[in-house]
Amino acid sequence: MKKLLALLLVCTMMLSLAMSVSAEDLKGKKVSLLTANLSSVTTNQMAEYMKKGLEEHGIEVTVVDTKGDFGQLASRIEDSVSAKADAIVLISADPVLVLSQLEVAFEAGVPVFGCDSGFVEGMQVNATSDNYMMGEAITRYLFNDLMGGKGSVIALTHRPHPGVVKRSNAFDDIIKEYPDIKLITEQHVEVPGPIESARTIMENLLLSNSAKDSVTAVWCAWDEPAIGATQALMDAGRGEVFVTGVDGNSQAVELINEDSNLKATMAQNFEGMANIVVTEVVKLFSGEEVIPGEQYAPALLITKTE
Amino acid sequence: MTTQQKIRDALKHYGTMMAAVIIILVFSLLRPDAFFTLQNLVNISRQISLLVIVAIGATLIMVMEEFDLSLGALASLGGIIGATLAVSGVPILFAMLAAVLGCALIGLFSGWLITKFNVLSFITTLAMSTIITGIIFAITGGSTVFQGVPRSYRSVGTSMVLGIPLLTIIMLLLTVLFWFIMRHTPFGRKLYAIGGNQKAALVSGIPVKRMKVIAFALCAGLSGLAGVLLSSRLGSAHPSGGDGLFLQAYAAVFLGKTMFRGGVANIWGTLVGSIILGVLANGLTIMQVPTFMQDLLTGCIIIMALVLQKIGAKTDDE
Repeated sequence: MKKLLALLLVCTMMLSLAMSVSAEDLKGKKVSLLTANLSSVTTNQMAEYMKKGLEEHGIEVTVVDTKGDFGQLASRIEDSVSAKADAIVLISADPVLVLSQLEVAFEAGVPVFGCDSGFVEGMQVNATSDNYMMGEAITRYLFNDLMGGKGSVIALTHRPHPGVVKRSNAFDDIIKEYPDIKLITEQHVEVPGPIESARTIMENLLLSNSAKDSVTAVWCAWDEPAIGATQALMDAGRGEVFVTGVDGNSQAVELINEDSNLKATMAQNFEGMANIVVTEVVKLFSGEEVIPGEQYAPALLITKTE
Repeated sequence: MTTQQKIRDALKHYGTMMAAVIIILVFSLLRPDAFFTLQNLVNISRQISLLVIVAIGATLIMVMEEFDLSLGALASLGGIIGATLAVSGVPILFAMLAAVLGCALIGLFSGWLITKFNVLSFITTLAMSTIITGIIFAITGGSTVFQGVPRSYRSVGTSMVLGIPLLTIIMLLLTVLFWFIMRHTPFGRKLYAIGGNQKAALVSGIPVKRMKVIAFALCAGLSGLAGVLLSSRLGSAHPSGGDGLFLQAYAAVFLGKTMFRGGVANIWGTLVGSIILGVLANGLTIMQVPTFMQDLLTGCIIIMALVLQKIGAKTDDE
């Protein structure tokens, strides 16, 4: 037993050693991709696209996930500065939430990029979608084309996310223009675990809105809650309720094409965002000029007919 | 005493400490340029400071063989109260104090419920954590508090005194203070007596209920303080910003339980446990180990530290 434990200890240490040695053997620049939500399909996709794109240029990439913990994210930014990373990319994380640590990076001369994050002074580029416009487009499609300007709607959102809150703001602004559309309730979806969280919320809301046509639609700030809500509606046999999401993730698109409750989503161009970041990082490393600010990857409305 | 017994004895008493030293040595050898630097030492001390503060609170509770599952939610609430009050123009010190006191009051209430109705602390504090989450969402609507947070609010979490982060100084002061309280005051000894044998403590005249209520209040106050300092460090307060501290704090306390006092929670042990967790997270990131591997290694190392200590402890059983 003791020998086995000793062996395990040695193996663990050797593994750390082996991994570090292989990392040090690699040449080229080092980029840290930092996120607090790698379990999200889309965040993961962006991390993968960027990793692939940067590695194709010989850049060494590390992906760090702090699983929803922004205190840890702050610490990992400090660590990346200590490790003398050549650039940091924040993925789906509001830079405002880790501003003090980013300022440390700025002072140390470590360039900071964002991918679906936000932009603060001192950063290089944040690649994102115009979240307000996406929120506006999907809300108008839901209210006009699906609901015909009347009925009742449930909103599922997660306002702490910088992009999501802009979509919710668009929803808030537009619903004021539709007096015949009533907001039943807005519910906060937990992250990580948004599908399960939205599904549970929806199951419970259906209990309190059990009559057919008591709910016309469910507006979801992104696709994962839309998937959860759709699952709950399908289980409850409530085929009359429309659901919309935003993001265009593959599971959502599949549900749209299966004639489920989920009717539309806005396809965020995550690959496009990742490509913007890769291009800008490469430009910076090659000594070309990078114009600081936000760059938008255009989004598309996805419905079954299209 | 045979050599084998000596090794077991050393493992039992110093196993966790040795693990900490080995981990630091390994990282220092592998990345001396980035890990073993003054700058990184400062980083690590700042990074573990909030964990240590929450874990000290958890230690007080664990000493009595009780649990407080609302630590993370309390830390989140502390940050939200502090930042919200600061945004609304309340002087920084009062905003922070109000957050700590608010959380301490909630802890007081939890302690009162637990002792008055003799209910399990495990379940009561779990329920309390749900209530606290509700309060947070009522205050914030689910949004992060960051707009209008005064720059001075950030100063506590970001400023340095003689090159040492203020957070580190606060952590060290609290560690020494609570080590003293637990080791050299009747209050600390009574908490240990309650944990050792509650009935015997009661019979010997220790006001068990009052001690427990005070401990829960202190623990909640410390969690609230950690939350305030976290929001100050980040310049913003996230509705679930402190939640991550909860499991880490208990991991630190359990690691620390393996030190010095033969399986009883203690302040220095908690500090070493926090250092192990902090150094692992920092060192593995610096070595660019992927996240999944960091989780695997951290989990394995914690289990190994616990098992090695148990092997050492067998000396007593035999």
